[in-house]
Amino acid sequence: MEQPRELTVEAPRAWDRPTFSIPVLACLSLVGGRFASFSTEANLYVLGTGGLLIWLGLSNRVPRRPAPTRLGSGAAWWVLPIVVFGVFEGVTFVVSAGDDFPTFSRLADPLIEGQLIRSVAWFAWLGAFWELVRR
Amino acid sequence: MMRALAIGGFLTSLALFAVLEWLARREGSRIPTLGEMCAYVMRYEVGPVPVGRIGLFGFWWWLGWHFLAR
Repeated sequence: MEQPRELTVEAPRAWDRPTFSIPVLACLSLVGGRFASFSTEANLYVLGTGGLLIWLGLSNRVPRRPAPTRLGSGAAWWVLPIVVFGVFEGVTFVVSAGDDFPTFSRLADPLIEGQLIRSVAWFAWLGAFWELVRR
Repeated sequence: MMRALAIGGFLTSLALFAVLEWLARREGSRIPTLGEMCAYVMRYEVGPVPVGRIGLFGFWWWLGWHFLAR
């Protein structure tokens, strides 16, 4: 006999658990960390992994957490770091003074050149992407 | 001097993100977490088109491409 929807609890699927998703993301990140910037492999890998996650996020294949219908009154505080970042990124981009007054990208590039740090950056990007997909 | 100013500005911004997230995770906080902010933005739809979801996914995809492939 079919149960009413509100009485049933959906068991988490195996691939939706951190014990599965974290090792998978770690493996993908280790592969991504091997590809240097501006390489065809890096471009294809970003397009492939990102495209797959977008497809998962726009289809209904991954269960989503309930989204808030209203935000707390303190939500406006998030404007502050965004504006500070935006002002510095905008000014450094417009001035175009190179290493004398660098953009965030120019500062980050040498940091993520090494394979290990690059893999960590990949893991952060893929992990956050996966969290967005499940929202 | 200008380089230090840029580094200081970006570090300040990142620190503000971290502090706000920490404040948001405290019990009874009126500040939503960054995840809740993203989830709220992703609820935005125009007719049947999930504009908020497409926009945030697109932005994050571009960010990965910009830093990891370019």
